[in-house]
Amino acid sequence: MDPHSEYIQAITRRHFFQKGAMGLGAAALASMTDLPAQAAKLPSSGIGGLPNLPHFAPKAKRAIYLFMAGAPCQMDLFDYKPQMNEWYDKDLPESVRQGQRLTTMTSGQKRFPIAPSKFKFSPYGENGTMISELLPYHGKMVDDISIIKSLHTEAINHDPAITYICTGNQLPGRPSLGSWLSYGLGSMNENLPTFVVMTPNWSGRQQAQALYNRLWGAGFLPSKHSAVTLRKSGDPILFLSNPEGIDSSLRRRMLDSVSKINQETYRLSGDPETQSRISQYEMAFRMQSSVPDLVDLKQETQATLDMYGPDVSKPGTFAASCLLARRMVERDVRFVQIFHRGWDQHGNVAKDLPAQAKDVDQAAWALIQDLKMRGMLDDTLVVWGGEFGRTIYSQGGLSKENYGRDHHPRCFTVWMAGGGVKPGVVHGETDDFSYNIVKDPVHIADLNATILHCLGIDHRRLSIPFQGLDVRLTGVEERHPVKELLL
Amino acid sequence: MISLQLTSISRKMLFGAALALLVLAPQVAWAEESSEIDFNRDIRPLLSDRCYACHGPDENHREGGIRFDVAESVLGEADSGETAIVPGKPDESEMIARILSDDESLKMPPPDSNKSLNADEIAKLKQWVAEGAKFQGHWSFEAPKKADPPQVDTPGWNEREIDQFLAARLKKEGLSPSEPADKLTLIRRVTFTLTGLPPMPAEVEAFLKDDSSDAYEKVVDRLLASPQYGEHMARHWLDAARYADTHGLHLDNYREMWMYRDWVIQALTDNKPYDVFLTEQLAGDLLPNPSWEQKVASGFNRCNVTTSEGGSIAAEVKMRNVNDRVVTTGTVFMGLTMDCTRCHDHKYDPLKQKDFYSMYGFFNSIDGNPLDGNAKDHAPTVYSKEATEELAQLDQQIGQKREEIKSTLAKVEYQDPGPGADNPEIQPEEVVWIEDGIPGKATVSGDYNWVTKPEPVFSGEKAAKRTVTGNDQAFFNGSDQPFTVYKGDVLFGYVYLDPKNPPKEVMFQWNNGGWDQRAFWGEDLIPFGTTGKTKHRIGDLPETGKWVRLEVPIEKVGLKEGDKVNGWAFTQWDGTVYWDKAGYVTKHGKQPEFKSLQAWTEFAAKTPAALNPENKQVTEILKKEADKRNEGDLKALRNYFLEFVCQDTQETFNKLRGELKSMTDKQADLKKNAPTTLVYKEAAKPVPSHILIRGEYDQLGDEVPRDVPAFLPPMTEEMPKDRLGLAMWLLDPGHPLTARVAVNRYWQHVFGVGLVKTSEDFGSQGSVPSHPQLLDNLAIEFREGGWDIKQMMKRLVMTSAYRQSSTITPELFKKDPENRLLARGPRHRLDAEALRDQALALSGLLVDKIGGPSVKPPQPDGLWKAVGYSGSNTVQFKADEGHEKVHRRTLYTFIKRTALAPQMSTFDAPNRESCTVRRERTNTPLQALLLMNDPQYVEAAVAMAQRVMDEGGSDPIAKVNYLISLCVLNPENEVQKKELESLYFDSLTYFQQNPEAAGKLVGKDETPAELAAWAIVCNTILNLDEVVIQR
Repeated sequence: MDPHSEYIQAITRRHFFQKGAMGLGAAALASMTDLPAQAAKLPSSGIGGLPNLPHFAPKAKRAIYLFMAGAPCQMDLFDYKPQMNEWYDKDLPESVRQGQRLTTMTSGQKRFPIAPSKFKFSPYGENGTMISELLPYHGKMVDDISIIKSLHTEAINHDPAITYICTGNQLPGRPSLGSWLSYGLGSMNENLPTFVVMTPNWSGRQQAQALYNRLWGAGFLPSKHSAVTLRKSGDPILFLSNPEGIDSSLRRRMLDSVSKINQETYRLSGDPETQSRISQYEMAFRMQSSVPDLVDLKQETQATLDMYGPDVSKPGTFAASCLLARRMVERDVRFVQIFHRGWDQHGNVAKDLPAQAKDVDQAAWALIQDLKMRGMLDDTLVVWGGEFGRTIYSQGGLSKENYGRDHHPRCFTVWMAGGGVKPGVVHGETDDFSYNIVKDPVHIADLNATILHCLGIDHRRLSIPFQGLDVRLTGVEERHPVKELLL
Repeated sequence: MISLQLTSISRKMLFGAALALLVLAPQVAWAEESSEIDFNRDIRPLLSDRCYACHGPDENHREGGIRFDVAESVLGEADSGETAIVPGKPDESEMIARILSDDESLKMPPPDSNKSLNADEIAKLKQWVAEGAKFQGHWSFEAPKKADPPQVDTPGWNEREIDQFLAARLKKEGLSPSEPADKLTLIRRVTFTLTGLPPMPAEVEAFLKDDSSDAYEKVVDRLLASPQYGEHMARHWLDAARYADTHGLHLDNYREMWMYRDWVIQALTDNKPYDVFLTEQLAGDLLPNPSWEQKVASGFNRCNVTTSEGGSIAAEVKMRNVNDRVVTTGTVFMGLTMDCTRCHDHKYDPLKQKDFYSMYGFFNSIDGNPLDGNAKDHAPTVYSKEATEELAQLDQQIGQKREEIKSTLAKVEYQDPGPGADNPEIQPEEVVWIEDGIPGKATVSGDYNWVTKPEPVFSGEKAAKRTVTGNDQAFFNGSDQPFTVYKGDVLFGYVYLDPKNPPKEVMFQWNNGGWDQRAFWGEDLIPFGTTGKTKHRIGDLPETGKWVRLEVPIEKVGLKEGDKVNGWAFTQWDGTVYWDKAGYVTKHGKQPEFKSLQAWTEFAAKTPAALNPENKQVTEILKKEADKRNEGDLKALRNYFLEFVCQDTQETFNKLRGELKSMTDKQADLKKNAPTTLVYKEAAKPVPSHILIRGEYDQLGDEVPRDVPAFLPPMTEEMPKDRLGLAMWLLDPGHPLTARVAVNRYWQHVFGVGLVKTSEDFGSQGSVPSHPQLLDNLAIEFREGGWDIKQMMKRLVMTSAYRQSSTITPELFKKDPENRLLARGPRHRLDAEALRDQALALSGLLVDKIGGPSVKPPQPDGLWKAVGYSGSNTVQFKADEGHEKVHRRTLYTFIKRTALAPQMSTFDAPNRESCTVRRERTNTPLQALLLMNDPQYVEAAVAMAQRVMDEGGSDPIAKVNYLISLCVLNPENEVQKKELESLYFDSLTYFQQNPEAAGKLVGKDETPAELAAWAIVCNTILNLDEVVIQR
């Protein structure tokens, strides 16, 4: 038996007979040795969350956010606009644009010629929802997901826009969605982090928009609420491996000393923080085995691997990240966010958009199927989307075969599935130009309110006083969960 | 104590209240002991938190015509006709009735507001109304008042004012201070507090041996005098100033700003008084004849994050930059939460939106572009001090040299020998570069299709014949036989256009490292280059059916003297074209030589291209008819001729010009390479400030003059309406906030928690001071004592409160978990920087160099790349090498804001994206992993082990004792000693059995097992609670 399991067994025995000197509950310890499936028995109110949360019975206990950084072209993927074919190379009417501000990348253009989507759309599912040929797998799962075509935001540049949707404010400094969840709901797993972020590779143009640690940071909350990033190479979690020359048994021996000496320090100084430190070191030790176990995809069946597609066996792909996300939520990691970059198609939609879509299409489908087959889709929320939309008019050169699209904050498409979300709904409508919303607008803060709602949180009541404001993820304006989407 | 009225409150409410009480208990425990109602301590926080959002300062969101922040409103009639508060009569007060109401539609605060009052809070409000509902202004907005310190009988606590206040309070709370800390603990504590480093063994020994009554004070004075004190104090300030080494947004490129950081270190080491420290940062550039240092200090207002994201709207970015300056000024100097008032009046404090934009006016007139251009030296900047001085000297020398040239010219006595003396004709030479093949070795592309006679051939054996549709190109580049072009040279090539199938366009293209030199004839169809910029139309297509020589002066296509041409491209659109001999006509840069002014003048008027292009004046004069030149013109021609042309004077002037050139070269080199730092510089004309409606950059409301918030004392006549005046205003004795906020931060630094816990918010939503009178006294004394920071730090660490043991008893912890009352000494986890610095110091690796560019000690691969924009100059992390760089204090570690070094972020260091005056202190498993496994900490453990081997005595017991004293651990802790010994022996056995493992851990060594075993012990020690915390 390796030192890890040996130790864990010993400590488990000790804890069953004498009460938590190490500061761990029996339930948490049980979860440590049990199979992942047992984790479902854990209470959904986590360890270390706020006492009055969740505000109501949550439909989703955990969530996975597939973030498409750079802003996907909604009219080439979901927002079907066949009327635009007659508008090829004609100017966007002023009646549509309505003086809307543009980024300085296209505000100097003499013309705003319309670029109809060059991709074919086909009807799928019970309602015949039109989906682009770039997303055939999305077509197959259209009855499992709910599509919102009427998301909107105010920011028109990447940095402020992505900071806005991820933290509720365009300026840096606010807690991210996942850190709010960690702060409010706490952890469901003593051996793994509460909030994990992955930043997989992408296949479109390699010059891609940046990400920022603040997108998953804790802002003004204590840093323990920020995400742990799961790395593509090297240690999956920073500094997880023992240094060369120190094996697990020696590390255990060392930790026994740390523990014993710290116990004595506690006896002499009486500081409860010392106790807490002892248990953090023990959790670190447990993570040294639980994390490698988590990322070991060899444990998956061939059928599962096949479902995610060939990319899944390449470390650092979106497909591998999706499978890892499933393994994490299975172990009750509260929130997993995958930031897939490369969606900023200012030019060369023809080549780059299919490549980007191919990265995510099958994997996202597989994730939903996988969760469904394991009975986990009902209490796991999945969200897919970017930070804003793109323009119907072309940026740069336009031909029938190729074009580019600039940033567009006034409408874009996201989808949600699972925990608490009605399947098969299409919500919101845009005009013929996919430029303005004509029905059921959903602000990005409404989306965040909806996500919180699914997880049992009333967004109005989760606030923290900071700098004289009651700061909420959803800001100060009136926002609502999208009730049409909720089960 | 729960009043009787509670019975009327629903069970549900009671349940909620109990829960709320649970959550709040630790924070308010210390305040609940006193039975008298104090408006500012007990009532205002309740009113502010529960009522102000709808009944507060914000006029636009005020319900029912009543506001609870102003006595007149509460005591008068509300819109409903009721009176909210009848002093002395809670039963007649509508406010109390509403609070107690069972009717959901009447109950206050509204049940859905999530702001319900608990039983205890309701009791307090009732008591307050019953006692006459006395209002006071918010404590921090009124000038501090001096109070006499109470006399106390606690031994050792009646000698210093601070202790007197603290002891009196402790007594009132039924607590007594702890024992004094032992000397060992004390020297470790004070060394960390004042320098962020552990004490060195010799320093410990000296202190232990010193039995004099002022032994401790001597240690304090030594520490305060050390430059490490300045570094440590600076580190705290730099959080507030949001200093970093990148711009922070989008590309997050490098920003060169470290001289500001060094200025802060120097200022604090030199004990610059706080008033000067503040003024130079806020307005150093506005001081009369600002010194270099004062300009650098003004960089405080340039530390905000900036962007140059493609598509950004400059006005919007500018607004964000200015907002950050206003908010930071509010937080750092006044503890005011200005950010709230960007969009509307403050909900809790008497701050108006107008106040925000009045303050905005002080910060919106910068002489620079709001977009940073992704450049490290986003203007305005200054060069390093050395470079600034050198540039000033060079300026002077260059001026002198120019004068010397001028005066030398004036002294020349010139007699024109007449035009016969010179022969201005230099015969140009035609050089053929391409004939029957490409010159030398080169990269060739496209099909030349060489043909021979009887096809048309102009010269040699062959011509290239190409018949194409649309665009077609043949070219070579990278020839190993390039040619150099000179002013006036002309490029040529021969073409023959087939009359039966003529092309629509022909193009030549020359490569000088790039291909942007294009000349074309005919239509503009070939899609390369931009017409007028990187391609130039020379003329119509030449006549067909014959050989035509196409000629292009090099200047026409943007080639410059000295350019080396290494490639030529032949492009055509449609048709059949024969291409043959090509080359250039050159004078090899030779200039005709003149002794006669007259001869040269005539020559130069014909060939102006031969002139120095910088001398526009001469060019213009030469364009005039000879008889239209006036006396001044003639003098200018004479001087130009003598300086640059005349054979007889060239030796003199070449020498002078050479001297001048070496100076201007040096100047250019300095300007390009000298380090810079961002500074503030006021625009020539102040930019007016407007209220921005709802905080939108493009929604301009009324223009507002520069001013300070109206609820604070006004600016006086002698204060100019600029940042300098703002600094004067902040430092005015009547200002209620500045000194309190500063002193509170020093208190927080020394004791772990401020007297006002929310050191960033002194408004009504902030926490109330634990010792208000003490805070007031300290603030007044700080100001009256000349804003002496070192003196304040010394006062704090000299107190008995600071010097007591930090041991915690369960009772004490229950009563005062955060140690606000200081019945025990401070105890908290070391900050990120102190932890790493400690490991470096204990291992003997620490480099004590002060200042300079930031350094990049190693970190795991890929952390920057995982998030960075591929075009960013900080997307690839490349660790520095060498002891001098990787073992500097952590203060000097390069701060990339979008991907902070894990050694920092894991231990709660802020990412410096915005002003931070208080760090959290968390305790997580990731911290444990880092301290155990980070190669930097492992390296430190191994170095420390080597130190033990070298200096620690002969046997393991001696070595353990050595480590215990090196790390200032408790020598009386026998458990620890035994445990470390047994760990050593167990590790030794392990490594003896696994010698390879030992080698891997410590590298090659003669006694790897022993060294490795000590490395395990040292790694363990660096993870001990006693080492990780300040205690």
